[in-house]
Amino acid sequence: MAGMKTATGDYIDSSWELRVFIGEEDPEAESLTLRVTGESHIGGVLLKIVEEIKRKQDWSDHAIWWEQKRQWLLQTHWTLDKYGILADARLFFGPQHRPVILRLPNRRALRLRASFSQPLFQAMVAICRLLSIRHPEELSLLRAPEKEKKKKKEKEPEEEVYDLTKVVLVGGVAPASFRGMPAHFSDSAQTEACYHMLSRPQPPPDPLLLQRLPRPSSLLDKTQLHSRWLDSSRCLMQQGIKAGDTLWLRFKYYSFFDLDPKTDPVRLTQLYEQARWDLLLEEIDCTEEEMMVFAALQYHINKLSQSGEVDEPAGTDSGLDDLDAALSNLEVKLEGSAPTDMLDSLTTIPELKDHLRIFRPRKLTLKGYRQHWVVFKETTLSYYKSQEEAPGDPIQQLNLKGCEVVPDVNVSGQKFCIKLLVPSPEGMSEIYLRCQDEQQYARWMAGCRLASKGRTMADSSYSSEVQAILAFLSLQRTGGGGGGSGNHPQGPDASAEGLNPYGLVAPRFQRKFKAKQLTPRILEAHQNVAQLSLSEAQLRFIQAWQSLPDFGISYVVVRFKGSRKDEILGIANNRLIRIDLSVGDVVKTWRFSNMRQWNVNWDIRQVGPE
Amino acid sequence: MGESNEDIEQMFSNLLGEMDLLTQSLGVDILPPPDPKPPRVEFNYSVGFKDLNESLNALEDQDLDALMADLVADISEAEQRTIQAQKETPQKQPQSASLCVPSFSGTTSLGYGANVAATSQYDDDLPPPPADPVLDLPLPPPPPGPISQEEEEAQAKADKIKLALEKLKEAKVKKLVVKIHMNDNSSKSLMVDERQLARDVLDNLFEKTHCDCNVDWCLYEIYPELQIERFFEDHENVVEILSDWTRDTENKLLFLEKKEKYAVFKNPQNFYLDNKGKKENKETNEKMNAKNKESLLEESFCGTSVIVPELEGALYLKEDGKKSWKRRYFLLRASGIYYVPKGKTKTSRDLACFIQFENVNIYYGIQCKMKYKAPTDYCFVLKHPQIQKESQYIKYLCCDDARALSQWVTGIRIAKYGKTLYDNYQRATAKAGLASRWTNLGTVNAVPPAPPSTGVKTDPTQANGQLPQATQSMNTALGEDWRHLETTKDKKPDPGLGSHDPGAPRAQPLPKSSLPPPPPPVRRSSDVGGGSPGTPPKAKGAAARFPAPPDDLLPPPPPPPPPVEDDELPPPPPDFNDTPPDFVPPPPPSFAGDLGFPLPPPPPPPKRQENPGPPGGGGGEQDFMSDLMKALQKKRGNMS
Repeated sequence: MAGMKTATGDYIDSSWELRVFIGEEDPEAESLTLRVTGESHIGGVLLKIVEEIKRKQDWSDHAIWWEQKRQWLLQTHWTLDKYGILADARLFFGPQHRPVILRLPNRRALRLRASFSQPLFQAMVAICRLLSIRHPEELSLLRAPEKEKKKKKEKEPEEEVYDLTKVVLVGGVAPASFRGMPAHFSDSAQTEACYHMLSRPQPPPDPLLLQRLPRPSSLLDKTQLHSRWLDSSRCLMQQGIKAGDTLWLRFKYYSFFDLDPKTDPVRLTQLYEQARWDLLLEEIDCTEEEMMVFAALQYHINKLSQSGEVDEPAGTDSGLDDLDAALSNLEVKLEGSAPTDMLDSLTTIPELKDHLRIFRPRKLTLKGYRQHWVVFKETTLSYYKSQEEAPGDPIQQLNLKGCEVVPDVNVSGQKFCIKLLVPSPEGMSEIYLRCQDEQQYARWMAGCRLASKGRTMADSSYSSEVQAILAFLSLQRTGGGGGGSGNHPQGPDASAEGLNPYGLVAPRFQRKFKAKQLTPRILEAHQNVAQLSLSEAQLRFIQAWQSLPDFGISYVVVRFKGSRKDEILGIANNRLIRIDLSVGDVVKTWRFSNMRQWNVNWDIRQVGPE
Repeated sequence: MGESNEDIEQMFSNLLGEMDLLTQSLGVDILPPPDPKPPRVEFNYSVGFKDLNESLNALEDQDLDALMADLVADISEAEQRTIQAQKETPQKQPQSASLCVPSFSGTTSLGYGANVAATSQYDDDLPPPPADPVLDLPLPPPPPGPISQEEEEAQAKADKIKLALEKLKEAKVKKLVVKIHMNDNSSKSLMVDERQLARDVLDNLFEKTHCDCNVDWCLYEIYPELQIERFFEDHENVVEILSDWTRDTENKLLFLEKKEKYAVFKNPQNFYLDNKGKKENKETNEKMNAKNKESLLEESFCGTSVIVPELEGALYLKEDGKKSWKRRYFLLRASGIYYVPKGKTKTSRDLACFIQFENVNIYYGIQCKMKYKAPTDYCFVLKHPQIQKESQYIKYLCCDDARALSQWVTGIRIAKYGKTLYDNYQRATAKAGLASRWTNLGTVNAVPPAPPSTGVKTDPTQANGQLPQATQSMNTALGEDWRHLETTKDKKPDPGLGSHDPGAPRAQPLPKSSLPPPPPPVRRSSDVGGGSPGTPPKAKGAAARFPAPPDDLLPPPPPPPPPVEDDELPPPPPDFNDTPPDFVPPPPPSFAGDLGFPLPPPPPPPKRQENPGPPGGGGGEQDFMSDLMKALQKKRGNMS
């Protein structure tokens, strides 16, 4: 062994002194000096260090980091010579797993221990296992953008950081499920809260914050993102990440395998969050109509997650339910124990009759709203001059099946109109119904909506629809239209605040429209998605995001062979796209299936796909 | 009925002639083989049809009507019984929702020569379809087994409940008698119930027509008034669509082959990889092999979301209510069609929405050049399905060429229907595969199986001639489809094109081969019904009434060569139009006799229970209806 001396004190075994710092890379770290030879094994050195420290501690996670070479000495059977370590090497004896703060796709921060010694890819596998996200290969880490972080620090002093550093996973087995969440989350209230944060969508962001956050203004800006991705074949330590640093966790490759709301709520939610932020921050462009749908879905998702409606198995077959209901009804009937005729109530269809003011826009007409006696039965709306004439022929009869129902409501102005666009063999006829108050409006509106889908007011969803409309109106009364002022508190009570349309759309729509204009449009779009369950809505959101034409293209600045100027190469999951830097037009597309090869000259940053 | 007799004789002699010709052309002997099983067609032929005619005569129109009446009586009787048994459980009155889609008389000016709907005399001879197609079927209470009294009671009660539920449902089921025009100037009437999708109806038609069942067959609606037309997607509900038609409509439903229907799945590269690099593009497209196509389809249709082909270009838009057409730059996105407003760029943020697809269907516009002064004849039309007359809400768009038209229409369909389209295609392929295997099995000794399709480009003229279309259909490039269509239009009277039915000649010699066990009709297994236990008795009932169960198990008895084949044979007999094309060989005499008498309420024979694949909930009922229809068809075929 190293350290044999002569009587004069000279070393005779060609041993030398190796200085090892204890702890993470820290200039003031305590250090040890060991006597080693070139043949010493790393394992032996480790053992010696631990003996020297004389502290009782679990050292199993510790390893030696060679600072100059930026390399972990993980092969314990290698000798110092084999590694090429000499006396001048700066070695640090520190833990391989260190805490980092991950900024999740939902913009929340989470502290956890990540492996600093394994290649990032493997580190990601471990992280995803901890977060119970399947398919870790789809995610990676980014460096947090520097300057922006500082600004944020100044303005938002305290931010809740969820902590998962103490959670230890049992190796090998797949995490078992316990109380509806992976077992390792159910240890404490804290981790439980963390799981909820992971698996449930977050409330919409403050519109002001949204406006403040940087948005890419050009394709060039979009390319910036990709310089921040960490290399997945090297470890975090090698890439200059220090313990406690903030990293972004994102889905890197835009092709998602096997999305299943049942098995991976976290993955689905985080993907949804990433999609949402992508849209809100204008990383991906969409049209006005598309934005309204996205906004409506966000509103819906938010409403569901706030109301504590944790994902139930999406809509059990309603037809089956009906059958069951009918069956039990019949059973009661046959027993003769039912006092009322339930079957009758089941088969008779409720109708609405009331005085409403009706307006039919026509060419060359100056008539406004006129009072009529309106009867709404099944899916048909008929109106008469007066109640007395009701048994006779109506002035007009409209079958609302397949019609478009658009709310035209101004709560503060006490205007409750329903605009109907009713298709008929001759074309579409437009008609406005004006109701007196919220109650009346809610009943008629709910009826119209059901009728447009071919259902009658006997449908079980009628009363809930009425309630939803009423609730909605009251929301509009309290908080509607106030968007953009930024006074609204964020957090769990965000739903009570009502619909703040500015939190749901990208800033450019905030500039383009007033909240008053946005709200009805979002509501209109919401009609189509109101029946979805939480995970269905999230999935729908992701799908809509995926079907945007610009979806999944990563932009990189390159220089093409034979070209003098910088251009942009868009990389999608099935093709490469050459894009003109200044105009943004697509110059050429190569599909991977048709490409023979591509050549990259890293020095002059030239690419040449063929 | 003397006249009809003559007709039949005439028809038979026609058939005889045709069969001779066919024999020559096939070079195969179709004389009855020394097979112990009596092959029906030949049997009729050799024994002579005189006798048969007589037995047929016994079955008069009135008899059939009487049968219907009896059926209805039985039904109402049974209904009474059940009602009493249930202590007068309130029954919903069945909505008598029979709408007879009127037959369209007169030749249309439309293209697709083969589908010109000519009214032939026999159309008028037909007895009107039964007045009350809404049949509440009798459900004989199941025979009580040797079980304890209580159990029995409970059982009975449960059965009654089921029955009542069944009836409740049944009462609401809407049924239509639909007249479907075939591609050979004939038509068939078909009972379609509310729950049937276009796919189910197609399957029914496959069984009835013995076509080759390839994926291109579709139901096709034509609006003569608006001059628009489209094919139904397989998942669409037929009754729902037809209920949008007005009562006095001239609209028609056709049964024909359209390559456009699934062109995108046969040659996805035409839609997905078209980047207008003319020469190079064509090169790569031809190189596209099956494997690449498959991966392209997988990529486009099997992801979390369907990829809508990137499509943009200048189209002409007919301005609302005006005769002028305006050229605009349109883009297709998954969420709708957009256009670039004047002076703006085509980035997402500048686009203005032209239309979204939720409430509109897409149609082909026919001869818009004539009618609306369109710049070209390649028009497509977007309209709300309920609009039936001219209206400013109908959007007309006009493309520069056929290729663009086909890309737009297909792109819009993909955007509108998404993955459903692919699922439809796969179902259709499965169905076609099954059918062709069956046909091949049956014809192995008569006709060599159709040569495997190759990518060989077929000249349109050639297509017009001898080559069966099936060869071409699989791999024909898109542009060709269109050229093809054009030629069809040009040569409208030429019967050689759309109407050739490669499946028919193969199906014909089928009976005399040694009959491998037929695959169970797919329709049954794919039925939507909930498989409720209340149905089997019904099916039994049906079987009891029509003691020709093979009808249900096997594909319906082989027809004599359907007149479709006339087109392939050099001299079509002059009175071709008089030949009822949906002619089915007359039932054996015993059957006819049975039919004549009212039957006692059915003691369920066990026969049906051995069916391969138990009939599903709606299935039994529907089978019954189709049996009924089959009987009617037979009758009609015979009478004319």
